[in-house]
Amino acid sequence: MLEKLTQLRHHIEQSLRDATPEAIEAVRVGMLGKKGEITAVLKGLGQLEPQARKIAGQAANELRDWAQSQIDQAKAGAGAAKQAQALTEESIDITLPGRRRGMGRLHPITQVYGKLEELFLSLGFDIVEGPHIETVYHNFDALNTPESHPSRDESDTFYFDENYLLRCHTSPMQVRVIEKQKPPIRVVVPGKVFRRDEVDATHTPVFHQLEGLVIDKGVHMGDLRGIMELIAGHIFGPGAKIRLRPSFFPFTEPSAEVDITCYVCDGKASRPGSEANDPCRVCKDSGWVELWGCGMVHPQVLRTSGIDPGEYSGYAFGLGVDRITSALYGITDPRLYFENDVQFLRQF
Amino acid sequence: MKIPLSWLQDIVTLPDDARTFSHKATDAGIKVEGIATSGGEITRVVIGQIVSLTRHPDADKLWVTQADVGTEVLQIVTGADNLKVGDYIPVALHGATLANGLKIKKSKMRGQESNGMLCSIGELGCTTEDFPHATDAGILVLTRPHPLGADAKPLLGLTEDVLDFEILSNRPDTNAVMGIAREAAAVYQIPFSLPEITVQEKAAGQASALVSVDIKDPARCPRYIARVVRDVKIAPSPRWMQKRLEAAGLRPVNNIVDITNYVMLEYGQPLHAFDIGAVAEQNGKHGIVVRTAASGEKITTLDGVERVLSDTALLIADGEKPLAIAGVMGGEATKVHDATTTILFESANFNPACIRLTAKKLGMRTDASARYEKGIDPNQALTSVNRAMELVERFECGQVVPGWVDNYPAPRQPRAVAFSTEGINARLGTALPAGEIRAYLQRVGIETREKDTAYEAIVPTFRWDIGEEVDLAEEVARFYGYNRLLSRHSQHIPAHLPFQPGMSPRRRREIALRQAVAGLGYCEALTYPFESPKIADKLLLPQDDFQREPLTLKNPLGEDFSVMRRRTLGGLLTGLGVNFVKRNETARLFEMAWVYESLTREAPRLTLAAYGPGVDYLSMKGDVEDLLSAFVGGKLVFAPLQLPYMHPGRTAGVAVRPHPKRDPAPLGELGELHPQVAAHFGIEARVYVAVLDLDAIHALGVNKKASFTPPPKFPALVRDLAFTVPGDVTAAQCEAAIREKGGQWLSEVTLFDVYQGKQIEAGHKSMAYTLRFSAPDRTLTDDAARKQMTAICNHLSEKLGGLVR
Repeated sequence: MLEKLTQLRHHIEQSLRDATPEAIEAVRVGMLGKKGEITAVLKGLGQLEPQARKIAGQAANELRDWAQSQIDQAKAGAGAAKQAQALTEESIDITLPGRRRGMGRLHPITQVYGKLEELFLSLGFDIVEGPHIETVYHNFDALNTPESHPSRDESDTFYFDENYLLRCHTSPMQVRVIEKQKPPIRVVVPGKVFRRDEVDATHTPVFHQLEGLVIDKGVHMGDLRGIMELIAGHIFGPGAKIRLRPSFFPFTEPSAEVDITCYVCDGKASRPGSEANDPCRVCKDSGWVELWGCGMVHPQVLRTSGIDPGEYSGYAFGLGVDRITSALYGITDPRLYFENDVQFLRQF
Repeated sequence: MKIPLSWLQDIVTLPDDARTFSHKATDAGIKVEGIATSGGEITRVVIGQIVSLTRHPDADKLWVTQADVGTEVLQIVTGADNLKVGDYIPVALHGATLANGLKIKKSKMRGQESNGMLCSIGELGCTTEDFPHATDAGILVLTRPHPLGADAKPLLGLTEDVLDFEILSNRPDTNAVMGIAREAAAVYQIPFSLPEITVQEKAAGQASALVSVDIKDPARCPRYIARVVRDVKIAPSPRWMQKRLEAAGLRPVNNIVDITNYVMLEYGQPLHAFDIGAVAEQNGKHGIVVRTAASGEKITTLDGVERVLSDTALLIADGEKPLAIAGVMGGEATKVHDATTTILFESANFNPACIRLTAKKLGMRTDASARYEKGIDPNQALTSVNRAMELVERFECGQVVPGWVDNYPAPRQPRAVAFSTEGINARLGTALPAGEIRAYLQRVGIETREKDTAYEAIVPTFRWDIGEEVDLAEEVARFYGYNRLLSRHSQHIPAHLPFQPGMSPRRRREIALRQAVAGLGYCEALTYPFESPKIADKLLLPQDDFQREPLTLKNPLGEDFSVMRRRTLGGLLTGLGVNFVKRNETARLFEMAWVYESLTREAPRLTLAAYGPGVDYLSMKGDVEDLLSAFVGGKLVFAPLQLPYMHPGRTAGVAVRPHPKRDPAPLGELGELHPQVAAHFGIEARVYVAVLDLDAIHALGVNKKASFTPPPKFPALVRDLAFTVPGDVTAAQCEAAIREKGGQWLSEVTLFDVYQGKQIEAGHKSMAYTLRFSAPDRTLTDDAARKQMTAICNHLSEKLGGLVR
């Protein structure tokens, strides 16, 4: 009897080795089915002596449990192998291009605005916007602009009539803010501005500014310099080198231009890769590129809007966002910003 | 303003070269925009020495020379007869360019190799005035040795650095050589004074006996000086003066005109020369009258054009007729010509606003008017005219009559400006002692004195720009150094911000909208807010369309940029056209732009435009639905719309019904562009656009309540339903009919197929929907759904003639 069980065990082991799911099922039926051999052994136990029955019964039951677990294991293995086979047959060329609609992009100018606004929001500035069509009063008169200032000329600024024009800077919003709000004031003003420049490799008649205005007690030029460095560092990285250069704006005194090391020649003033020392065209041989203007708010601007310049002082700046974007990406032709070729726009 | 370096060096000795000086001047606010080199067209001309000289074997008039140019000895054939062995001469090497543009190449002359050219003064752009010992015919033989092979240009003075200064509009005093020299001296802390002027006055008589000056309008002409020169000899001016004028961008004319221009550049004071013979006499003197023009008064100016004046113009006249438009241009009648013998030199001061208005009205801006407009110091008028007299004597082009007539009723006085060290330090963030502040001011000619407990600055009359303490603060900062100022970071940025929103909900929403549209695959475009009026034609707009009456710029950059847009499509379609021309297969663009309804009303629009594979009416509509459903609460309603620029059968107005009981609020339009319009913009593809009114979206966004509906907890029952309806029944009608009988548990109705063709009755179409039923409190049974489906089928059949398949 026990010998028979040993033979069966051996047989099962051999039959299940590398068996297909069908062969495994055949083993199950042949052994454990109603007419299976182990089933038959179990059924025949009753005819044995009690002593032998006990020994054989234990062995037969053990064999039955063992066979069942072997068959289950073999089935699972065979299933996994079959699935693996099927999956292998499903292989595809994973280098085929993905099915894309393609993400759009925000215009690089918008992205730079976003980066700047992020900085100013974190510094507690408000963001406000103003109209493109401005009054001559807000654009010039209230900003202390002398009658003789060239920006008032029709050759420089777009006019509708004697009272209305297209703003040539975002600075009129300085006046609109001071008219409405009492110090302390901290605002930035993003927006389009318009100057009567023919379209060429360095000019577009429409461009973008971010005006800043801070008015508080005890503000001095050190604060202006500090924020100029913060802006340059935020946009161009902590290593950015800027300089302030005396200049003139009617609504600030002292006034300054902010220059950054030339982004094409890296301040070397000669064209990269040129054999003779050809001058760098972007910085016109100076090593510096003009980015924006700034200054301490002129006391006359404060007086015009009813703020006592003896009590309050402030600074203002007008960032040239197109220029900043050009400097950031090394773009040398601002016409690209308005051409709207998706091959350009998708790069940002 | 362009100034050759040597001109500055005449007045102040600069210790640096042009480049270093330009950096220092720029740091102090006198920006050098560029440094050009005059004579830059000449290249590859070096110093050589004649080693041997023999007759050309086959040509009587030629010589064969061996010239040592340092690195080698070149054989060069020349026709000149003035050479001898040992002479130093300029050699143009192979590849050289000469002043007249001639390029030099190796060649053979009558069988003899010639590896360059020996140069004459003419070929180097010079005359005998530059090299008095040289002749026009021969080779330029140098008077002293130079290193062989050295670049000849600097050694021969052929090149000079010309600095281009940016003139700030508040600093007209720097629009002159003297002004820049004064600043340069301040940069280097060199004491500055104007050069001494000596006039011999050798002619007989007195100017005051020859000329009278009567100023009728002293407000507009604060000062008028006249000087007289007799025995005038008109000739070309010296070469050195011509070169300086050319470097500054002025064309040499003759000695008299060149002297007036030279002095204008040097001192900033325009001068005018009259032929005194044409100035009528009054009481035995040539009588100059400065008066306002009569309205309609005429004068023919130097350029031969007859000008009609208004009563705002100021005239230089005599007792009978106008002679010149003051500060703008002289008259033809008193023009100096070759036969002129006696000249009246005018050095005058006019009111800037008056000159600006006159020049503007006449549309003639001259070198003189541009300077008068900015304001000129009247106290420099006499110095300037005397400088001209000095030059007249030096060039021997006339005899200066002693004395002058100076009508200057109210001399301008220096201005006193009060300041305190505390005030200046508070502005600059510095702690400078009084002595240092006063020393910086002294450098630019501003004297200071103590007054009461503070100080007073005496501002010279050429500095019109300084009016109060902050202006003095800038002068101090310029020379202290802007980049030495303290940099402070935190003082005015509170550590704990008070609550403030930072940006408006509108701007926040616009930023989010931009990002969402980009996420849908659109690239953001930027266009000009002004456009051509022809855009209206391109859009097929009727004559009475509102876009035909846009705001018009008075002074546009041409017609293409002359009107403020009333619709945003023009710009974006132009952008799509660029993409199409560049063969970009697909282009999706969007822009958030403003339209201009009146001088005080600007309205924002969100515009989408696209063409290419995968772009059609439904994709555009889907994009608009995705977008609006995220930003606007309520149900979107689409209705057919007719617009001149859109496809008549594929255009919808989109509106939103924020609440079932409220009227839909219009949001914009979308659909396919009229193919003819697409063609007008150069796009040979079907174009789909959407124009949304951002103000309307903002208005709905404000009312959108913060709320939510919990998602169902129990699985939904999903049933498909296909039926045929007559072809003219719309999807919107079908969906409405399904919902009417859908019962309370019908949550979603999704169309997944529309079919016309085989097996469908002609004129009909098959619509296939997926319906989702769900209840919040239980799993629905088949029975419940079956009942509802039956009701829907019956309703479709009754209402729309639907036949369930």
